[in-house]
Amino acid sequence: MADMVVGTSMAASLPRQRTLLVGTVLATAGTLMYFVGLFGVYLRERAEALGRSGDWIPSGADIQLAQPTLAAWTMMMSVVTMQWVVYSVARNDRTHAIIAAGVTAMFGVSVIITTSFQYTQMGLVADESLAATLIYTISASHLAMITVALVFLGIMVFRALAGNHISHQTDGFVAASVFWYAVVVVYVVIWTAIFVLK
Amino acid sequence: MTIVDTRSETELPQTSGPQPSQAQLVVSELTPSTDLAGILSSSHHQVIGRLYVLCALGLSGLGLGLGLLMNLEKVDLDAGLGIFGNTNELFQVFALYRTTLIMCGLVPLLLGLATAVIPKQLRTVTVAYPRAAAAAFWTWLIGAITHIVATFSYGGLGSLQAGAAREQSVELTLLSLGVVALGLLVGSGVILATLITQRPAGMDLLQMPAFSWSMMVATTVWLFSLPVLLANLVISWVDMRGATALRFGTADAPFEHVAWAFDVPQVYAWALPLLGIVAEVLISAHRSRPKLFEPMVFIVGAFGFLSFGAWAQSFFDSAEPSALDAHVVSNEVVFVVFALGIAGVVLAFGIWLAFNVVSAEQRPIISPQFGLAVLSGALLTAAVTVGVLRVAGSALGVLREADSNLWPGFFDAMDDLAGSSLVTGMMNLVVLAGLLAAVAGIFHWAPRLLGRRLNASLGFLAVVMLGGGAMLYGFTDVLGGFFDQPDRFFVVGSFAVANLDAVDALGFVEALNVIGLVGVVAVLGGLALVVLNVVMSLVSPADLDVADDPSVVDDGDGLTADMSVDGQER
Repeated sequence: MADMVVGTSMAASLPRQRTLLVGTVLATAGTLMYFVGLFGVYLRERAEALGRSGDWIPSGADIQLAQPTLAAWTMMMSVVTMQWVVYSVARNDRTHAIIAAGVTAMFGVSVIITTSFQYTQMGLVADESLAATLIYTISASHLAMITVALVFLGIMVFRALAGNHISHQTDGFVAASVFWYAVVVVYVVIWTAIFVLK
Repeated sequence: MTIVDTRSETELPQTSGPQPSQAQLVVSELTPSTDLAGILSSSHHQVIGRLYVLCALGLSGLGLGLGLLMNLEKVDLDAGLGIFGNTNELFQVFALYRTTLIMCGLVPLLLGLATAVIPKQLRTVTVAYPRAAAAAFWTWLIGAITHIVATFSYGGLGSLQAGAAREQSVELTLLSLGVVALGLLVGSGVILATLITQRPAGMDLLQMPAFSWSMMVATTVWLFSLPVLLANLVISWVDMRGATALRFGTADAPFEHVAWAFDVPQVYAWALPLLGIVAEVLISAHRSRPKLFEPMVFIVGAFGFLSFGAWAQSFFDSAEPSALDAHVVSNEVVFVVFALGIAGVVLAFGIWLAFNVVSAEQRPIISPQFGLAVLSGALLTAAVTVGVLRVAGSALGVLREADSNLWPGFFDAMDDLAGSSLVTGMMNLVVLAGLLAAVAGIFHWAPRLLGRRLNASLGFLAVVMLGGGAMLYGFTDVLGGFFDQPDRFFVVGSFAVANLDAVDALGFVEALNVIGLVGVVAVLGGLALVVLNVVMSLVSPADLDVADDPSVVDDGDGLTADMSVDGQER
């Protein structure tokens, strides 16, 4: 028996939905591959340096674990609040959705502030060692990623404010959350590969 | 309070005369603009496709022109012909040749074809994100032009000697190549999103037309490899921005850092859609439909998997590898397995295609696209065969570990191939196979892409020039490799080959380079004929409707030859 039906004009005219979500998943996959490329170079160079001289982080630098750990926990808490956003939007609960989005955004901004503060404390000069160059490249790329995620979330909140039924925006919020979770995953890897392992 | 996002009818401006119907408005939005302002600001998939095709053909010509200049230099391996001011300029063109031919020529050409054709294959009105598609095109074009200009402003992807290139220009070259990669990335994402979300109900992923499926696999591989290239470029750029470059921004490191994109296995990924084009062109030339479609789906998928090469970054090869050379990418088992696997996959594809052609039981319609598709398949087969030779030294190294005295002359020869001009020859074969397939696609889908068929006489002339030229140009570097012509035929401060004594039969190799020169001139001529043909068709009024489109054989049930299956028993 025929196992497909194509060609009727009605069937052909029906577009598949969730375009925004699919587009965001693809963009997220590309972004993650960018970080895979960065981490690949970082870990390769780190292994090479440790094998050669036993040193990777320059001796004058003081990379403490307190700020990155705080930022990592903040990011992980934002997973819960972001899921709260999606949950509220799906149930057409505008108030909780906006509160949750605000808290999530606050977590994101606080990670940016924590990272910026850490830059002032590390004593790591960007162009004096390969480790510094790579750490700043990865960390700054992640800050840019957080900014994009915040803008994405802001746009979705703005759209939600303009309509009666925010549940119509569920796909958009799910898309924003997918990108946000990727931001969190990348930070967890940064925390582990750069700050815990040093 | 209720917030509405459309104005009420009373607020709309009232005009006298008959108002256009909703259907007329929709048609006007979906009709490609023909005036200049409309074309430049259009997000119509057909217009964007045309722009991609025209610009990419032009930039492919520029890339081949750079190849011509380098071949001129290789005509005299003793001292060069002095085309370039110094060897740093030659190195910059050596790198620009690769980036232009692949990033500014082949990949955008295939993306343009896909942007124009895929919505029609899927019977949807446009791509998933039309404005993103337009943004991707302009991002790519601006990046490509900036990249070329920056290289010619004493920039390029580094230089043979530290400080020989202008630092700001090198930074701009890196940045602009990043912009090119970003544009291609967005364009790939648009095509992939279109294929996932815009298929008609009832058509699953395994039932897409062959070209659509090959684009799906290709854009997936590109989506996973272009960001890695971008990461390489960002690291080099950041390193250069410091007071002193430490590693990734020094001398020729920026090029070496991204060289994986122009070598096996990644180079195959850039030309991957040729499988779909060749399949569609050859099968429809036999007035047939694909049979045993599922094996083809898996073959193309396997080709995509095996051609992903972002992991094969030889830049990180250890300077002092261990006894087993385990830290040298080209000596790793997976590197060899991928190259051998690709050859097997292409062989399987050839068998599948032969089965379809034989079972069609009809003589093919001889057309320019038919000739180009056959030539493209032949070039790809040759390229993967050369790719096997490229890794043969490493593959046979296992035997040498067991007995170091085993056929020393043969093993040394195989080892030498990895650093010879065979590497560039293989890249040329793959890129030319992709270009020929893309041109075949332009001829095949001309009614959809351009609104009318292309001139067949000019087309046949282009086939002769492109095919003949590609054979001459592609194979001469490969043959030169067997006579130990090095891939980098220049050294710091000298146009001469580093060790002329190592080159066997120098006169013969130089003669081969002259033949290669003739070949690249012929390819350039063929490309110019294709551009002329496309421009002629664009300035002529459209004279075809879909019913005249040879690529659309509507047999009454709404199905077309583009459809992967015939709707009957499978």
